[in-house]
Parts: sequence; C-alpha cells; structure tokens
Amino acid sequence: MSHTLHRLGNPENLTDDWVVFAMSAKGINEKGSAEKLRKFLDIALTHDPINYGDMKTGNSFTATVDDLVEGIQDVSIVHAVFTSEDEVAAVLRDLKAADLGMSVVVSGLVDTTKRCAGRAGLGQHTIEYSLGIWGQTDRLPGERTLQITTMCGHGMVAAGLVHKMVKDVRRGKLSVENAAAELARPCVCGVFNQYRAARLLAALVASEDEDAPPSPGQTISFT
Amino acid sequence: MVIDPATCERCLKCLPVCPVGAIRFERPTKQVVIDQDLCVECEVCYRADVCPSGALQRVELSWPRTLRAVFSNPLLIHKETRIPGRGTEEMKTNDVTGRFKRGQIGIAVELGRPGLSASFRDVEKVTKTCAAHGIQFEPQNPVTHLLKDRIRGTILPEVLDERVLSAIVEFEIEQTAALVLLKDLQAISRELDTVFSLNVTQLVEPDGSVPMLDMLRAEGLSPSPNGKNNMGLGQPAYDFGAEGE
Repeated sequence: MSHTLHRLGNPENLTDDWVVFAMSAKGINEKGSAEKLRKFLDIALTHDPINYGDMKTGNSFTATVDDLVEGIQDVSIVHAVFTSEDEVAAVLRDLKAADLGMSVVVSGLVDTTKRCAGRAGLGQHTIEYSLGIWGQTDRLPGERTLQITTMCGHGMVAAGLVHKMVKDVRRGKLSVENAAAELARPCVCGVFNQYRAARLLAALVASEDEDAPPSPGQTISFT
Repeated sequence: MVIDPATCERCLKCLPVCPVGAIRFERPTKQVVIDQDLCVECEVCYRADVCPSGALQRVELSWPRTLRAVFSNPLLIHKETRIPGRGTEEMKTNDVTGRFKRGQIGIAVELGRPGLSASFRDVEKVTKTCAAHGIQFEPQNPVTHLLKDRIRGTILPEVLDERVLSAIVEFEIEQTAALVLLKDLQAISRELDTVFSLNVTQLVEPDGSVPMLDMLRAEGLSPSPNGKNNMGLGQPAYDFGAEGE
C-alpha cells in the first residue's frame, strides 16, 4: 500500500520529512534479499535517521537495532526517516555505490527529491502523487491533527491520541517531545516523523482556536 | 477485540488509542465496551499495552470478520500478495517489475483512509464505478480477490457489511481515459459513507517530466507537493527501453 504517501501538509512544514525505504519484488528478486535489506539498514543507520523500522519487528521506539536486523526477512520493507535534504542525498549516494539491486523509494517533497537524486547521480524512475482526500471529509478530525496522524499511512496513530497528547502537554504532564514520541510508537513501520510531529503538536498546544473538521463536501487538497 | 467487563478497571486509558473510536464508556451501565460494528480488528489497542488489568482481549475471528483483521492490521500478511498492508507493491518496485508502463496512469482509491474506516458496501460503489470504464482490477490486490464479478465490479455479498480501516481499489488506465474516470470518482465520492485518499502514479519520462501533471492541474486537481519517488535502483526484470519498439 501507499503507506508513506498522503502525508498531509504544505511545502513549508514538509521540508524536514523524508522516508527512505527498500524492498524486494516478490517472485523476482525476493530470494536472498534479506541480507541486502540488512545492508540497506546498515547504510541508513550511518546517516542517523530519527526513526526506522520494519513492520514485522517494530520501530526505533519499540525494538532494538539488533532485533530489527535479526528480524529482516526476504519479504520485509525496511524504512528510515530523515530530516534533511543533505542526509537524503548522502544516503542515496551510498545506496547507489552499494548497488544492492533492491528497489529504493524516497517519500518527500518531489522537487527536492529530484535535487537529492541529482546530487547522488540518480534520476526518478516512477512517481506517485496524492490527489487529496475526497468524500465525507467533515467526519474527519481537523487538518492540523491530520497532518500528524497521516504520518502513519496504516492509520495506527489515532486522532484521539493526538488530542490526549495536546491535553497532557497543556497540563504539564508531558513535554512536546515526549508526546511526539508517544505518537510515534503505534506506527509499526517506523515511518512516523516525531520531529515534525513535535513541531505540529506545539502549534496545536499553543493554538487557542479549535482544530475544526473540514466543511461538508470539501475535498482536502494539497497546496 | 473485546473488553472483559469482569477485569476492566474503567481507567479509560484505551479510549484515545483506538484509530476509529470504537471503544467507549457507556454511562448507564458504567461499562467500557468495544462497538463490534465499528471495531476493525486492527489491534492497535492491544499493542498499545495501556490496559493495566489485561481486560482487552483478542478473540478468534471467523469468516468474513477475518477480513477486518487482514485489511486493518499491518502485521498480518495477505495470502494473495504475500506483503503486509492493504495493497500491493505498486510503484515501489516498478523499476524491477515494469507494472506501470509509459502512457499509463496508475490509480489507487483507498477507502476509509485516513482513519475513518469503510465498509465493503462503500468499496463496491467505487469498484462498480471503475468497472463501468472497462478497467482491469489489479490482480494482486486483495480487494480484487473479493470481487464476485470483475466485469461489473460487484463484491461478494457476504462481505459487504464488513468494515475495515482501509481498502484499496487499484488499476492502471491509459492517460487519455483517466480524466473521465476521475470525474466519476469525484461524483461517487459524494454518495459514500466514508472518505477516500486518492493517488496517481506514472513513469517518469527520460527528460524528467511527468506527463499527467499538466493534465491534472488543468482540470483543477492538485497533485501533492510531496510524493513517493522510486529511485530506479532495483535490478530491472523488465525492459523499459523496449517500449514503443
């Protein structure tokens, strides 16, 4: 599934949001790919990702690196989250040199990804865009909450948990950073960006107006 | 999932972690319950480990409720696709598989996302709409395996009332035919009892351009500034260079 697409936001608040992941194609280059995916994780870890994981084992908040490495299988999808263009370009450069033969996908701002790819001597092969959210959007939480929850494409981060974190931070029970880490835990793949979440959460905490749901019939588009 | 009323301490810690709001406190009975119609069996509440008394309990599911779990819990693997999650490898491995060809657009309609959930009754409204355009549903996609009639887009009647966190309808279509279908999806979206997140995929041209973008923008659609970029590092098993020969 498109588990790292549909991360709602705008070019300004998506500048530090990058997911790089690798996987094999089932039935084609699947056999023996676990070792190559472990190498992918090795390379990613040398560039200090803020989160990482493989849904079969967990994320950086719920599993150790050793557990993750050991848990990688031929069918795994291994993810790492970065916060800067320089890191992404460096990871891509190292992945190109490693020539693992595995498919590598970067989820992030498209134009900047193109620049990262160029710096690594790569191009974009296939690209996927979101066209937004259609239908009964007035039944969704507010857009600022969605910018946080949509960082887990499998929908494991509940809007109710975001609301609870906002309350806990306001009451002084949690720091914004610890609240963001709590939100990252349910995202089993490790694609949740807790740095961006902390920033978005801080804005929600400071905001006096309610994060109101969209109007009936309103398509949630990207700008 | 169920909550054992005998052991539940009514601490309410499980309420906020449910992605679909299926856990609630019923004031008349003073019980915390899971609405079995809304629960999509994703097990987020169980994995959150918030229950101090072990009252949150898994139950063995039978068909067709088992669908809720495989479409909602990413830790489970679909037997059709052998990958975790709700869709396919789609563009993630296109550099190897060559699934998306030049001149085509890949479309994925993910019903229920983000976090609202969807019944297969709503999924069927979309599959019927798409089938009317003569598309071929992606054979590896788990929803395709629930179609009773792939020509008409009807879904097995016994699963229609099952609710899942999300379900994806996937197919490829020639770019020239895509706009009419997208307009029909826009129309049907108003008749659904849920939302869908919509995505489009295309092979990047050798000069770096993406032909569908101008067409989409001209129709008032707004492709996201962020997207998924397959970097072409996979060992190809498909000869892209041979296209058009």
